[in-house]
Amino acid sequence: MNTLASGWGLLAIILVCVATVAVGALGLRMSRTTSDFYVAGRVVTAGWNASAIGGEYLSAASFLGVAGIVYSLGTHMLWLPVGYTLGYLILLVLVAAPLRRSGAYTIPDFAEARLSSRRVRRIASVLVVGIGWLYLLPQFQGAGLALQTVTGASPAVGSLIVAVVVLVSVAAGGMRSITLVQAMQYWLKLAAISIPCFVLAWLWFRGGQPLPSLTDPGGPFAGALPAYPMREHPLYATYSTLLALCFGTMGLPHVLVRFYTNPDGPAARRTTVIVIALLGAFYLFPPVLGMLGRIYLPSLPAGTRADSVVLLLPSAVTPGTLGDLLSAILAGGAFAAFLSTASGLTVSVAGVIDQDLLSGAMNRRLGGDLPRTHSFRLASLVAILIPYAASWLAPGATLADTVGMAFAIAASTLGPLLILGVWWRRLSVTGAAAGLIVGGTLAMGATVATLFGVGRGTGGWIPVLLAQPAAWSMPIAFTTAVLVSLATPRSVPVNAARAMVRLHAPEEVTARVRPPAG
Amino acid sequence: MSSHNDISEERAARYIAVQNSQEFAELRKTFRKFVFPMTGLFLAWYFLYVILATYASDFMATKLFGNITVGLVLGLAQFATTFAITMIYARWADRVLDPAAAKLADHMERGNLQ
Repeated sequence: MNTLASGWGLLAIILVCVATVAVGALGLRMSRTTSDFYVAGRVVTAGWNASAIGGEYLSAASFLGVAGIVYSLGTHMLWLPVGYTLGYLILLVLVAAPLRRSGAYTIPDFAEARLSSRRVRRIASVLVVGIGWLYLLPQFQGAGLALQTVTGASPAVGSLIVAVVVLVSVAAGGMRSITLVQAMQYWLKLAAISIPCFVLAWLWFRGGQPLPSLTDPGGPFAGALPAYPMREHPLYATYSTLLALCFGTMGLPHVLVRFYTNPDGPAARRTTVIVIALLGAFYLFPPVLGMLGRIYLPSLPAGTRADSVVLLLPSAVTPGTLGDLLSAILAGGAFAAFLSTASGLTVSVAGVIDQDLLSGAMNRRLGGDLPRTHSFRLASLVAILIPYAASWLAPGATLADTVGMAFAIAASTLGPLLILGVWWRRLSVTGAAAGLIVGGTLAMGATVATLFGVGRGTGGWIPVLLAQPAAWSMPIAFTTAVLVSLATPRSVPVNAARAMVRLHAPEEVTARVRPPAG
Repeated sequence: MSSHNDISEERAARYIAVQNSQEFAELRKTFRKFVFPMTGLFLAWYFLYVILATYASDFMATKLFGNITVGLVLGLAQFATTFAITMIYARWADRVLDPAAAKLADHMERGNLQ
């Protein structure tokens, strides 16, 4: 890319970072008490909340990866953007309202409220932190790659920028500012992808170029994306990925937090409906960019990943200032995607580290004098530093693989815990713990084996099964939890009936059964 | 301390009364009868698309008009059905689920739980 183009790109990235910190600071001025700091004072409306969920969810994989996949594999791959929204549909119909009614702020809170067990809570906390870190890792790596594509800077610079901006806005603003920041990021990302998309589509229409050839999996585009896990046994790999997306979304650390900020179950439902509309609208654009790429970029420069097709397309369609400008807008949007997903994850991971790991230890040591916000800030630092360091230690893993594995682990552990917890009264403490441990061990084992390249290049079933574990690890986790629960009826918590009423009866009932506060 | 225990025992008893009431059981049954089949149905539809994309690529590449293929139309239909299912569920919840829940709440208030 030429100097002028990289100048525009750099400017867009700087603007996005400055806007993120500025809106974060605005939120800080508005958050006055500790409870505001944590849960946005519960004044967040459905529209804001839904924008925030969308902003947080649309990561780099969505912004760059989907277009790259449609570019290299054709419209066959339209199931992938739909799959990313599917998880919210499952979440909406199966658990949205009950989760809000549970009053849980994090998944460990839910585990404790439903099962009255500190042990299950502790296991869930470890899983939340692990999944969050695994999901944070590719955000740092992706930021490095994007900045490198746009400006030629070393990948280390991009990941450091994301780490610092996220740390500053999370530690300073807490939850309230993050809701504002995330909501803004959604609209920023939608504008950053839709405006260039409309301009490029109009130029294509006016230029009278032919329609792209849409389906040629064996054509020149195949293999342009070696990172994508659709290598062999594609049907198994696809089903496993879809299952992970469907049942993993609800178990992602940064999702449940947003349900607590809804005033009641029906509001949680309304929020989710808006989320699906917002995500669906966004996901219409990346496939269009991928298809335009097929016309204007019949081949990519050597050594370029298909993920960068979005950033290279504008200059191919219209070389010159307009192309540079559109590339810069897209680069800014991609950076917004890294920042928002990373902040959402950091808030959630830090919340769990603070609540379940740090506060207790620090209070014992300091006699409970430490203000709540201080330990949250310390937890934020820990939440960012470890995946940032890991992004240096494990540079070999590809972005799509790592994100897919975070979904697979969530679908094999926290997903079953939430579904069984909401729908099955006879879930026992021992059964829940066994399901989490078995599902977590299998899915994480497969992840570690894949990261270290077990069976790579052998071409058989083993690498495919390890790279996409959800299709077998999730059923095993469900079965374990059910069978162990049936075998240990005495460890069904005594207040299971009460917990089930709270989850499924409308708020008015629970409010009337509960004695007035204080 | 003892009065606190009395309150929490009374609370627990009332929760169990709700849990055991026929109305609450019916509320959950209504929900399950609508939601579980619907979940199964839309998952089947998505998985069918994936089977077609993987094994019937000739069929998916059939041109309807110009370069518009069956695969593209079905792919866009997936977006449309996601919206449609979401709207159907949301309207059902507003129309059926919430009134049933409100009735349960009302009966609890009057103490004539069925």
